[in-house]
Amino acid sequence: MVLHIGIILAIMILAYAWAGWKKLSVELCMLASAVAGGLAGAFIKTPPIGALARHLIEGTFTYLDVILVFTTATIFIAIVAESGGVNYVVRGIIKAFYRKRIIALLLLMVVILIPGALTGAGSVSILTVGAPSALALGYLGISKKKVTAILFIIAGLSAAAPPVNIWAMIVSAGTAIPYVGFELPLGIPVIVLGTFSMLVLGWKREEKKELEEILKEMPEVPDKMTWWRVLLPFLVFFGLIIVARIRPFSFPILGLPLEFTIAGIIALLVSPKKINILILSRDTVKLLLPLLATMAVVGSLQQIMTATGVRGMISYAVISMPLILLYFLLIIIIPFSEGILTYGGAAIIGIPLVWMLDSIGLHATVVIAGLSLLWPLGDGLPPTALIGRLSVMMADYKGSYWSFLKATWIPWIVITIVGILMIIFSAKLAFLVRWSM
Amino acid sequence: MSRNSMIKTVSVIIFAVLTTWSGIQFYQHRHYQLPIVAGPGVTKVVKLSDYCAGLKGTMADTHVFFLQGKEEGGKILIIANTHSNEPVAILSALVMIENARVEKGTVIIIPQFNNSGSRNTKPGDGYPLFFDVPTGWGSKKFRMGNRNASPLDQWPDPDVYVHYPERQLLSYLDVRNTNRTWPGRSDGPLMEKVTYAAMQLLREEHVDLAIDIHGAETMFPVTNCIVAPDKSMRIATIASMTVTAMEGFENHVEPSPKGFRGLSHREIGDYSDTLPFLLEAPTPFLDQPTGPKTVDLLLKGKDPFILSLSKQKKLFVPYDKSGWPMEKRVGQHCSVVLEIMHQYSMKNPDRAILVSNAPHYADLVKNGVGHYFHNPNEAKKGSLYFN
Repeated sequence: MVLHIGIILAIMILAYAWAGWKKLSVELCMLASAVAGGLAGAFIKTPPIGALARHLIEGTFTYLDVILVFTTATIFIAIVAESGGVNYVVRGIIKAFYRKRIIALLLLMVVILIPGALTGAGSVSILTVGAPSALALGYLGISKKKVTAILFIIAGLSAAAPPVNIWAMIVSAGTAIPYVGFELPLGIPVIVLGTFSMLVLGWKREEKKELEEILKEMPEVPDKMTWWRVLLPFLVFFGLIIVARIRPFSFPILGLPLEFTIAGIIALLVSPKKINILILSRDTVKLLLPLLATMAVVGSLQQIMTATGVRGMISYAVISMPLILLYFLLIIIIPFSEGILTYGGAAIIGIPLVWMLDSIGLHATVVIAGLSLLWPLGDGLPPTALIGRLSVMMADYKGSYWSFLKATWIPWIVITIVGILMIIFSAKLAFLVRWSM
Repeated sequence: MSRNSMIKTVSVIIFAVLTTWSGIQFYQHRHYQLPIVAGPGVTKVVKLSDYCAGLKGTMADTHVFFLQGKEEGGKILIIANTHSNEPVAILSALVMIENARVEKGTVIIIPQFNNSGSRNTKPGDGYPLFFDVPTGWGSKKFRMGNRNASPLDQWPDPDVYVHYPERQLLSYLDVRNTNRTWPGRSDGPLMEKVTYAAMQLLREEHVDLAIDIHGAETMFPVTNCIVAPDKSMRIATIASMTVTAMEGFENHVEPSPKGFRGLSHREIGDYSDTLPFLLEAPTPFLDQPTGPKTVDLLLKGKDPFILSLSKQKKLFVPYDKSGWPMEKRVGQHCSVVLEIMHQYSMKNPDRAILVSNAPHYADLVKNGVGHYFHNPNEAKKGSLYFN
């Protein structure tokens, strides 16, 4: 069986390479890999040929909820931008904080952290506040490359931040460890690392201009635009999330897609200029299509990998590693598992890993918190590169994807070191869990 | 037509064919009705919605089988398929429903507790849709379900699930997990209604014991065990020691964590007078580091990666080349259930629950699970139910 699975894995890699050589997109390369793996597996009935189509189609539903959130959130923010709201906010921030740059940077960090911390999705941070934050950072004299890097790192940390950390929730649920006591083990590193990253990436003013000059350069906003017109849709969105948290037993469950849709309708109603919602939605979905396709195909790939045993073999390889080697390789394995499987990485590698580390005396809650710092880094890695690609899109960065990713190297290394040290010294950091409860 | 348009057209046609083909398979899975033959001990069959009207007409509604003895005594509720991807539970429940006779007291069995979950698949995890258990008269076909209820029945999910009534934050997926939604409420999401109905059943029927049957990974420390809160600990400990000593399989007791809310073994104990227990049996199929997720792995539990991890001492259960076959798992559950009843009956003679004709571990290992299933085509009139 092991040989068969090895051959299937090799065929999947070859199919991916062949599709890449034919200059097909990343999504089609993954699809080619999934189909080839499935067909190879069908030779030994893993899966049976009659079930292959079902596996491929079923897999596309793995991240349906994420796809819905991305679509509705992006249309929401597109309405806000089209109404002139984004430009209005940026103008306001620059006017107020242009001469107090450090405060402006830290405030922007908090602004980016909040949506992700509340929803557990860094993508929500990028999709809601990414565009105005990127513009504001740009006017504070930071290059587009570093602005993109800031968005990526801070949005990633926002997903790890308490109260909602989906990786920790998935691993906790799978390991029967209560999702409690994470506030300090997650909150302290996120704040410290966020501040560090913001200052490292944003400290240097690469372009110095007078405030008046900048204000002149900035796009005009519609005359009738006011703070309440911009804030109302966001207040409605965060209000719905907060009310659902405060009154969970009397307020109906709406779900993020509907919450974004409601906020979008509000934005449309208060917009000072007329917006053709059909055209805007069509253009937005067109822009998002590669990302949505990636999410659908990654699900298929994941399903085929499981049905053929490839996923299990990879998981086995990780679990079987000597401990010291594992600590070193975690810095690669964890981000790459996220890059390939997104949240699936937490289930496939995270759950058995936490069981194993727990059994040798490490503190499971702190280990999960440490791993949670590493997972968001993978959201910048292909094939999915979810947060990375959204950051590039929202910051309107035109350079190569890798050039932006290279700009994140200092925060990336520091976050990795902190995460690994938290895992290794988890037993000594257990007091953070106690203090949180 | 340009080459590009041709490729697009062909792609759309292929996609439409694959989707239709898959759609038919999903439809058949969701609407497959499992025949259950009510055995000689079954005296009454009701619906779970009888205890919570909100379940009526939904995919979450399910059958509740009563096996009442001639003599009054204690009562036990056995819950199976809380997680429908742990089919050892429903197999154990059906062995009881189709064979057991109750001499004293009442045994109440819900074989498909998360009925919606049993009609759901697990995207990304490559499960088979069905599995067949060989019997003397052919094979009995079962749906392979998911841990959580189907989003077709309960949707949307919240961004985070706030447990009722303790307000603990849980993963958004747990809003569809009937082992996180206890004790539930009558006007909550559908799965909270399911657990609420079970709580009402426990209260209205004055049930003494509740046993929630599960399967767990071999790499999970809470496996091959009875999970019990303080109030059930004494019976759990004696039952575990007895089966280990007398029936020749390993078993231990795990305490129910007080800070982890929504689980049956926690909330039933805290919100009713019933003594709760949760049973786990090793299920290699659920482990992450396994080969293909096949029916063979599900039923026989043999896997080369798990075997290797066992040699590396990374499992929490003994494991060898023979794997962990379904008959061993079902046998363990049947024996532990019977032993818990026995221990409770010894301590509370006026509330005793006496059961006969229910197989033990050794019987199941010898005869196989299918031996205890009756042919639905030969079932007496009125004794065939579909779930």
